Amino acid sequence: MAAARRNKRMAASQPGFLSFNSGLDGNSSDIKRRKRVNKNKKKNWNKYSDIQDVEEFLDDVRLQEKAAGGLIAEKPDATLFFVDTGEKDKETQPQTTVKKGKRTKPLRIDLILQPDSRIPAPKNVLAFQQPNAKKQRRMAEKAARLAAMGVLPRREKLLRLRQAAAASGLPVKENPVANNNPERAFYDLWSAGTPETDDPYYLEQTKKKLVKRPDRLNEKPSVLPAIEVVGPGGSYNPDFFSHQDLLREAHEVEVKKLRAEERLARQLAVKEDIATEESSFKEQVEGLIEEGDVEPEEPEGGSEDTVIGPTATQEKKTEKQRRKEKAQRIKALRRKADRQMIDKQQQLFQLRSIRANLKTQEQRTRQRQAQRKANQEAQKSMPRRLGRLKFQTPDLDVQLSHELAGSLRSLKPEGSILKDRFMSLQKRNLIEPRERAKFKRKYKVKYSEKRAFREIV
Amino acid sequence: MGGLQKKKYESGSATNYITRNKARKKLSLSLADFRRLCILKGIYPHEPKHKKKVNKGSTAPRTFYLLKDIRFLLHEPIVGKFREYKIFVRKLRKAYGKAEWGGVERLKENKPVYKLDHIIKERYPTFIDAVRDVDDSLSMCFLFSTFARTGKCHVQTIQLCRRLSVEWMNYVISSRSLRKVFLSIKGIYYQAEVLGQTITWIIPYQFAHDHPTDVDYRVMATFTEFYTTLLGFVNFRLYQTLNLVYPPKLDGQGEINLKSEFEEDYALDSESYTEKLSALSASLARMVPSAEEEETELDHFPTEGEDQEKMEEREKMEHEQIKQKKFFEGLKFFLNREVPRESLAFVIRCFGGEVSWDKSLCIGSTYDAKDETITHHIVDRPSIDTQYINRYYIQPQWVYDSVNAKILLPVEEYFLGVTLPPHLSPFVEETEGDYVPPEKLKLMALQRGEKPQTEDEEEEEEEEEDEDEEEDDQSEEEEEAEDEANLAEIEEKRSRGKSLSVKVTPGKAKAENRKRAAEEEKAEEKRLAIMMMKKREKYLYDKIMFGKKRNVREANKLAAKRKAHDDASKEDKKKKKKKC
Repeated sequence: MAAARRNKRMAASQPGFLSFNSGLDGNSSDIKRRKRVNKNKKKNWNKYSDIQDVEEFLDDVRLQEKAAGGLIAEKPDATLFFVDTGEKDKETQPQTTVKKGKRTKPLRIDLILQPDSRIPAPKNVLAFQQPNAKKQRRMAEKAARLAAMGVLPRREKLLRLRQAAAASGLPVKENPVANNNPERAFYDLWSAGTPETDDPYYLEQTKKKLVKRPDRLNEKPSVLPAIEVVGPGGSYNPDFFSHQDLLREAHEVEVKKLRAEERLARQLAVKEDIATEESSFKEQVEGLIEEGDVEPEEPEGGSEDTVIGPTATQEKKTEKQRRKEKAQRIKALRRKADRQMIDKQQQLFQLRSIRANLKTQEQRTRQRQAQRKANQEAQKSMPRRLGRLKFQTPDLDVQLSHELAGSLRSLKPEGSILKDRFMSLQKRNLIEPRERAKFKRKYKVKYSEKRAFREIV
Repeated sequence: MGGLQKKKYESGSATNYITRNKARKKLSLSLADFRRLCILKGIYPHEPKHKKKVNKGSTAPRTFYLLKDIRFLLHEPIVGKFREYKIFVRKLRKAYGKAEWGGVERLKENKPVYKLDHIIKERYPTFIDAVRDVDDSLSMCFLFSTFARTGKCHVQTIQLCRRLSVEWMNYVISSRSLRKVFLSIKGIYYQAEVLGQTITWIIPYQFAHDHPTDVDYRVMATFTEFYTTLLGFVNFRLYQTLNLVYPPKLDGQGEINLKSEFEEDYALDSESYTEKLSALSASLARMVPSAEEEETELDHFPTEGEDQEKMEEREKMEHEQIKQKKFFEGLKFFLNREVPRESLAFVIRCFGGEVSWDKSLCIGSTYDAKDETITHHIVDRPSIDTQYINRYYIQPQWVYDSVNAKILLPVEEYFLGVTLPPHLSPFVEETEGDYVPPEKLKLMALQRGEKPQTEDEEEEEEEEEDEDEEEDDQSEEEEEAEDEANLAEIEEKRSRGKSLSVKVTPGKAKAENRKRAAEEEKAEEKRLAIMMMKKREKYLYDKIMFGKKRNVREANKLAAKRKAHDDASKEDKKKKKKKC
């Protein structure tokens, strides 16, 4: 490396050196007066020594190497110039078209992707690394020590094990492949194998057979189909009316949303009059200005206080009163029983109306049953409330009339299928609706002003 | 009297349910692992009927699982693997932290992995159960296979998804089981009939990706993990039923044709085979190289009378279906570079057509654009420079519409630069009395085999007339003509009525009348039946009839509207033409 750099320097010092951007060369000499600083600090070396000319020169060398594959000054003239002898005859062209099967011109995209630097890419980056002799020596020493103790390295040990296994003819247990390995193999999962003859209880207890899955679990939690096909209005080139239908549907959803929003705004609106200057002033001086007609209300309040609360003391009933009450009670009971008796007898004559009554009652219950059943059926296709959040129907994917593409090429797809699938899983009650976890900072951010910043402000 | 007082929440629904957090603790798993386990095992949260009882008096919204489900989960061997994995991660982190690279290597070598095979077998005890449930897995696999390899999910998962989806497409091609295609603004819907099950899936358009932020990628990846395993086993079995080699191999002869010199430009040697498979242009190798055994004759059991008729009908249907399955046979397509290659190649090959594309577009092209035997060239740009006389230049929608109609549609409406007819959804099935768009009516007429009275011709004729006359005149004339016809009819009727009363004509054999009499009788019977109905039934009947009539009325209204719209647009066109 160092030798190459020296070489370059040498080339530059020669009088014949041509620089690519030679215009800059002359201007660099007239700079302002050198600033005098102490050179006993490394910081100052970096800061105050002017190395721009060196940088420029090195940049130029690099550019030449990249574009021309070496320093131009060193190149022979034949590679740089050619003798112009006018236009060539076009005899050669028909010959090229004859070979049809041969490789045609490479595609432009492939050309664009070709590297345009003349410097070949390094083959192996690690090859440039200097081996660390000390480290290697240490490692070798350790290996020798272990070998003396009779400990084999891991690689060797595994190899011997494998060889031993192969020699004994035992099938080598392969490492299981991951589920998402693209080369994984499949087999006939549903082929009828040999039926188990052992006691199923024994097999289950010894973990040789899995516990039977209850049939209940094979029912789907929703009756909705896995793929819901969009209506005819969602076609990329829809029929006019079906497209209008879809638009109307989307419009209605939008209107509903807007109405809910408006209602909320209305409910939250401040209903009282807004404070004017006058009213606010009044409020401020409230109580400061004494008015004659305000009277203390304390005595009144005091009198009321005495009324509140249980004051009446229960007087004891006399014996006569008790007797009277008891007689009344008995009389009322008897009257009630009589009334019931009469009513029962009367019901014999009301048979018709009773029957009608019963009929209507039964009909009503039947209706209610049917209604409830219908509701339950409807519920089966509805998303359930499975967690903190409710399922929210995603927006309809709609393209407005002017967005519709005339052809498949200019079609701009609407919505995301990934989201559609995710929502479908939620809608079918397979997963509970969730929202993205909010970012929570573990520690508070501490702001501190840097000195440079403080100096400016 | 008496006995112990029952305590609250110690029996009934309160003990049948368990909250998510408790379940998680019971299984001693982290929340992420618990969620993964539930997805893999197909255990879903439940909404209890009486939340307050279940929640021990609190009404806070929580996620509940059935306790029995969680008890069932306790037996799952994967739970142990999850715990092992957790410990593996911990050890690995420690080894990294201590910079013990040997330890890291050893740990990675012994990374715990789990299998899902037993879960698939458990959740889908029979093969047909799995086929019935394959919709979801197809959509997910096709979706994941289009992802960019940017670290949103494992690259290996993407590769596996791609492999499985290509296998599936190749199966559908070989079994000729595609039924419907629908190009929507979201993606392309396909429907196939596999072993008697209708299977629908959706494929996104190419390059249509933005990654939405409100989707939980971890959950989706877990579902995909399960679905890829399922789809792999289903594919294996499906290939077996068709006697195809699995993993799919290209047919021997096809391979030689496919060998081209510039392969190395498009794929590495290691990948070129899978790329060629995914090009969908060659057929697959079979286990037993047999001659075309597709047309297996059904066994005939001689039966009498009606059964015979039914059998014949069924046979006819089958023949028709077989015919429909290969109605692209003998056609040679060439795809221009701007059309969606994979989708078109898939659809065309499903119906027996031959397809190719430019060599530089993708690997696996079989012939180039200069081939004289190409019948259809699919182009999606307003015009093309070099055109051959002996082929149709059509827009891609023709292929899809033809597939949905199951016949070769007339190509005139799909030429280059022509405004396309609307792409109707094949998933809509109109019942009687619904509004049917006129394009569909025309299509149905075509399917019945009627020669369509092409609208264009009519229009042209009209336009020719227009050049001579004013529009108003024409419409008036039409109306007049209609009126005259009506009048003539009325007159005729009248005269007939009169003549009957007066004249005595010689008797004729009334051949038709028998039929008519029968019809009349039927109508009379129906009328009587209606009269005899009970009040409640009558009410219901009236309601149904009213509903039907309302449907018809609405359909008529829509049709009238459409006509008005068409007329308006036509007039606009004419005006424009005149201006020009």
